[in-house]
Amino acid sequence: MSRTIIKRWCRIAACIAALLPLALPIHAANEEADSVISVGYTNTNNAVSGSVEHVGQDQMNRKQSSNALDAINGRVAGMTVQRPSNGLAAMNAVRVRGTTSLTGGNDPLIIVDGVFGDLTTLSAIYPADIESFTVLKDASETAQYGSRGASGVIEVTTKRGTSSTAGMSYNGTFGVSRVAKNINMLDADAYRQLLTQQSLMLVDHGYNTNWQREIQQTGFQQDHHIAFTGGKANAGYRVALGYMNHRGVILHESMNNFTSNMSMHQTMFNDRVKVEVGMFGNVQHSTTSIYDVQKTFYSAASWNPTFSTERNAAGGWDGFTYANQINHPMALMDSRTRNKTTHLSTHGKISAQITTDWSLSGFLAFSHNEAEASQFLPTSIWAHGQVYKGSNKTESLVGNIMLAWDKSMASHHVKIMALAEAQRDDLTGFGVTTTNLSTDALGIDVLQAGALTVWDGTKSFHKTPTMAAFMSRGSWEWNDRYSLTITARIDGSSKFGKNHKWGFFPSASAAWTVSNENFMRDIQWLETMKLRVGVGMAGNQGGIDSYMSLNALQPVGIVPVGQGAAVSLGLPLNINPDLKWEVKCTFNTGIDIVVLNSRLFGSIDFYTSKTTDMLYLYNVPVPPFHYNKLLANIGSMSNNGLEISMGATLVNTRDIDLNINANVAWQRNKLLSLSGEYGDYYLEAPSIVDIGNLNGAGFHGGNNHIVYQIVGQPLGVFYLPHCTGLVDDGNGGYVYGIADLDNDGNIYLANGADRQVCGQAVPKVLVGSNFSLRYRNCDLAIQINGAFGHKIYNGTALTYMNMNSLPGYNVMADAPAMAIKDQIATDYWLEPGDYVNIDYITFGWNVPLKKSAIERLRLSLTLENLATITSYSGLTPMINSTNVSSTLGIDDKNTYPVTRDVTLGVSVYF
Amino acid sequence: MNKIYISFLAALAIMLLGSCNDFLEEDPTDRLTVDKAITSRSELFLNCVANLYRDVGGSSNAQGLQGTSHGLYDLNTFDTDEAMVPTRGADWYDGGYWQALYTHDFSQADGTGDVWNYLFRQVLACNVSLKRIADFAATHPGENVDEYIAEVRGLRAMYMFYAMDLYGRLPIFDSPTPSASQLALQPRSKVYQYIIDELLAIEPQLSIKSSCLPGEYYGRFTKPVALFLLAKLALNVEVYNDDDWTDDLRPNGSQFFFTLYGNKLNAWEAVVYICDYLSNLGFRMEDDFSTNFAVHNEVSRENIFVIPMDKLLYDSQFVNLFRSRHYNHAAALGLNGENGPCATREALMAFGLFEGQAIDAEDVDPRFALTYYCGQVYDLNGNIITLDDGTPLVYEPWKVALDVSGTPWEKTAGARMRKYEIDPTATMDGRHSDNDIVLMRMADVVLMKAEALLRNGDDGSEPFNEVRERVSAKPMECTLATVLDERQRELAWEGWRRNDLIRFGLFTRAYSDRPQLPGESNGYTTVFPIPGEFLNFTRCSQNPGW
Repeated sequence: MSRTIIKRWCRIAACIAALLPLALPIHAANEEADSVISVGYTNTNNAVSGSVEHVGQDQMNRKQSSNALDAINGRVAGMTVQRPSNGLAAMNAVRVRGTTSLTGGNDPLIIVDGVFGDLTTLSAIYPADIESFTVLKDASETAQYGSRGASGVIEVTTKRGTSSTAGMSYNGTFGVSRVAKNINMLDADAYRQLLTQQSLMLVDHGYNTNWQREIQQTGFQQDHHIAFTGGKANAGYRVALGYMNHRGVILHESMNNFTSNMSMHQTMFNDRVKVEVGMFGNVQHSTTSIYDVQKTFYSAASWNPTFSTERNAAGGWDGFTYANQINHPMALMDSRTRNKTTHLSTHGKISAQITTDWSLSGFLAFSHNEAEASQFLPTSIWAHGQVYKGSNKTESLVGNIMLAWDKSMASHHVKIMALAEAQRDDLTGFGVTTTNLSTDALGIDVLQAGALTVWDGTKSFHKTPTMAAFMSRGSWEWNDRYSLTITARIDGSSKFGKNHKWGFFPSASAAWTVSNENFMRDIQWLETMKLRVGVGMAGNQGGIDSYMSLNALQPVGIVPVGQGAAVSLGLPLNINPDLKWEVKCTFNTGIDIVVLNSRLFGSIDFYTSKTTDMLYLYNVPVPPFHYNKLLANIGSMSNNGLEISMGATLVNTRDIDLNINANVAWQRNKLLSLSGEYGDYYLEAPSIVDIGNLNGAGFHGGNNHIVYQIVGQPLGVFYLPHCTGLVDDGNGGYVYGIADLDNDGNIYLANGADRQVCGQAVPKVLVGSNFSLRYRNCDLAIQINGAFGHKIYNGTALTYMNMNSLPGYNVMADAPAMAIKDQIATDYWLEPGDYVNIDYITFGWNVPLKKSAIERLRLSLTLENLATITSYSGLTPMINSTNVSSTLGIDDKNTYPVTRDVTLGVSVYF
Repeated sequence: MNKIYISFLAALAIMLLGSCNDFLEEDPTDRLTVDKAITSRSELFLNCVANLYRDVGGSSNAQGLQGTSHGLYDLNTFDTDEAMVPTRGADWYDGGYWQALYTHDFSQADGTGDVWNYLFRQVLACNVSLKRIADFAATHPGENVDEYIAEVRGLRAMYMFYAMDLYGRLPIFDSPTPSASQLALQPRSKVYQYIIDELLAIEPQLSIKSSCLPGEYYGRFTKPVALFLLAKLALNVEVYNDDDWTDDLRPNGSQFFFTLYGNKLNAWEAVVYICDYLSNLGFRMEDDFSTNFAVHNEVSRENIFVIPMDKLLYDSQFVNLFRSRHYNHAAALGLNGENGPCATREALMAFGLFEGQAIDAEDVDPRFALTYYCGQVYDLNGNIITLDDGTPLVYEPWKVALDVSGTPWEKTAGARMRKYEIDPTATMDGRHSDNDIVLMRMADVVLMKAEALLRNGDDGSEPFNEVRERVSAKPMECTLATVLDERQRELAWEGWRRNDLIRFGLFTRAYSDRPQLPGESNGYTTVFPIPGEFLNFTRCSQNPGW
């Protein structure tokens, strides 16, 4: 299609989009809804006809959390929060209704007070500042945000000052965290005895060291938060400052975070004009001695236990050359990785009520994000040592103008809005690596301690992606019973090919509040019953980079030229001039029921979605392509699921409250196709592609693939040879017997004949439940989460049970008895991943105060991560079972130790 | 009111959408579009010719003609009787890759297709360069770009040569964006003829300078490189013209003719002619064998084509030494090691060694000590290198086996690679050293001459013993069998063993730890399987047997 035709179509679509809502019938009505919640760009009431979950103060997790997402973990059906598994400042991975894109952009859009951000933005928000979360799940609601909201939207509204909330509050948290479980390796005596008995080379330094314990410490945390609020009838303000200081359970691991959040609002001209201004920001420092998670935990588990934890006479760390894939654990602890992130976001909104029906608003937000990283790898763990410093900066400017018309006529209520929006990001960054350190003593701060800066040790970039969008949204309500919302949105992104920058994404939803029908009025016990249905399309561009469609050359390396050398230009990857929007079509239907005076409520949602023109790094043939990966829009994928949320107030008296909330989500994903047209080519990507492998000694390359992407299967399945059991190798050891699945007389470990799909890595069912009990001033809350139907590959056991890895690598205490001398990856170590985890228990006490300066005082005690019920034999089943990456479903010597945390919280309101 | 608003809104939408197209244009500041990158002759050279040399070496797996792991070199070396990578307990099993390579079970050796991808990326890059040079010439009529075109076509022919040697049938195409039909696989003889024709067509325009000495042509594709390739093609003429390599029949090399500088020569005569021609250009065997592999070997008059190495400038790696030496051996040199590849029993025997015999015995070829570490080893100051428990490190050459796990010599079995001088200032664990990696050298040409003379029914003993004399080895009778052994002794670890064994019809035979695969006697393992993605795309058939 030529550019002009597309332009014309876009224009036509824009007109239709703008006009569509106006064509709807209009009558008069005047009824004000009392429960106004903010969804998307507009305030709305029970007209919400899509799938939206609102989590207010009362529904948030009651433990004191340092991470905003902890407040809703387990509370929203279909939303999973993968706990950060590698350190204090690590990011959660969040999925709303699973993974729908292969390239990225699977993280939901985070909107804080109207400012678009991502998961990192949440580190700038102290959880106590949050008023509410609103999670938009289906396309008819997320459509408002276009491509950015394709994977769900989490709107965070922070608290604001009003005349009635004037005052001051303090929140403090003090906690201790300890490692509860380590891998049971041979201790030094057993190691000595075993090596002597097997006449293997024993390098015995005479110590008895438990390395896993040696690199651990007791973690502490203290968080403080103070907020001032106040206001008059036509204005309000709120200022909050927060400080967090955490010490991790691994030596030298620490994090501190300073946050601030300010907001003001004022109305003028008889309340016709409203101005809101806000600013939030943070500075976070984190330090860790873990530069490579797997190397650290692999070394701590399997390093020679007879070695000393002290430096040797020469001032260095004793080496053990046979264990060349790992390092002396204390030497690893000498490495440092330091990160500093600074976030600042300011936003302002002005809204004017032009007439009773018409209103106009403008919104402008600027955010500045800077991530500085430094790393020092001493000569003991990195040949010649290495120092790195780098910084990445993102500046983002977003603005929108919105015109809205809102009218109630008789039993009708109509709202129409039109919006134009633009965003420009400015991304810059640089990094410098130097090596050949003459001393380790200068550490992390001195780049020039390195004698050598190689060409590819320096990098910088500058990118300026832009986006533009036009949207029109109309909703109509009639008689409190029927509502209909239609959204049309046109999105443009600079990242796509010249003729594919724009995409048109419409959506619609409808709801019927059955309980308001006359024929239902007599049913007293039924308070609300509402049926919802919605369909919509959303574009996705997440996870792709700028300039992927541009034939532009960049420096690729140094070549000899004449007497010297010069930098030459080239393309280090395939470019795709036809890159375009990935499209996700979703259908959602649900029912909400409230009965018995709001004692019991529940909702059921069913959704199905199909992702087409799927952006993915396809495996392509060389030639005609230069590289065997191409970012293109070819395949498709489907997702569907069922979500049930229930809540019950079992007891509600003056002295006792007892509430139970639970949600269950079933999710199913299927990779439909990876083949299709690309320009003049028909591309047939291999239908079996490995995405996760094992690592470590003897696991480099070859047939070590564990998790695959297979057409016709869910994303992330285990595709492995089948182990028939342990077979005597004739030398007093055992090897994994491998089934000849295709009965051809040969065992073929490569993809194909002797491998089979034997489970999926992503849970089929997710469960979250919460019990809360109040007795007078005391309360108790328990959150229990679970996941079922998936498997975990225990690569840790495969490695540590292999007796052949002696004497270089220590083995598990059970290994000598089982005498396995093999490390071929089969389904022997594939285990069910089902678990139920007691996330936290909180006891709270609202201290009764009479006529004191203190308005309210609350003390609470939280026990986190209390117990996990599982049959999984590894450290914990709570590994990455969410995020489609190389670690999905594989526990491979990289699991952070399991901790138990106790925290004490104090909240004071003046 | 509403009407006005509607038309206003519609007009606004149309207006904004139009202006937004400019807002959404990408105008990068950290990279250059082609028209901005190539504005002058020197930029044309830098970004269309010189840039191609960046990938002669490599810095990650399967990249480069030599120096990285899982690459072209490994496919030409670890599937032969010259070297193997034994499984050593937890080390070097690597998903069965090395065992599959050694036993010729190539479809089980995950990743052999990466080498195809590497080679054809270079062919495509050459095609892109040729197109850009042509575009430049069209807009700059005064500029003579013939030399650049010749150099790029020469490089492309070289990559096609390596690809043909591994995969047999190849696509032949000039386009930077070929269609599926342009990529149909051609019979091996046709590919062979294409490479010959290309080399002969461009060779007159190339410089006669050595590409291994510092100067304008350092590292570049010059006439001697083209001639070396022509000699290799001529010597292997029977293999490369055999389109059905599983039928046990080969054409006769003396029936293939070349016209070199006006002389009509059969294949064997052509090899001899090229050898003499290169001698006349000043290429000769260095007096000292080790000069060619020294840290500063860019003085060698023997080397014909190398991967330039400089730890300060280039990111090309050389893992061959790094991955072979024992951990403690490397540590004693201040470097790192991976304790992997070592010599096979057949390689030891080729040097005149037998079990129990001292390596400095008179019958042992002098090159053995220059090529391999064996027995006790010493650091650069002459101190004995010890293991972590204090006992001396002793390499056990005869304990080599495909899997030495659990044996007392799990970590020490096998003679290790020496050949290249140790660069104690090497970086990246020893992977970045300054020794240029030798891809082609004159001693190989001299041995090719000896072999060609024999194959043509003449006496090859003069060039044959010239090679032996240089290292003070006793003269020996020159037969095809002794030539093959001499090539093993002279060219060990240089990546030619597979090519040699196939030419001599010995690649598929059984040897230590390698029983012949079922059906292998027909020769199907002499070419590698072609990557499935490419076959799917072109709908071409796989090579027979795979």
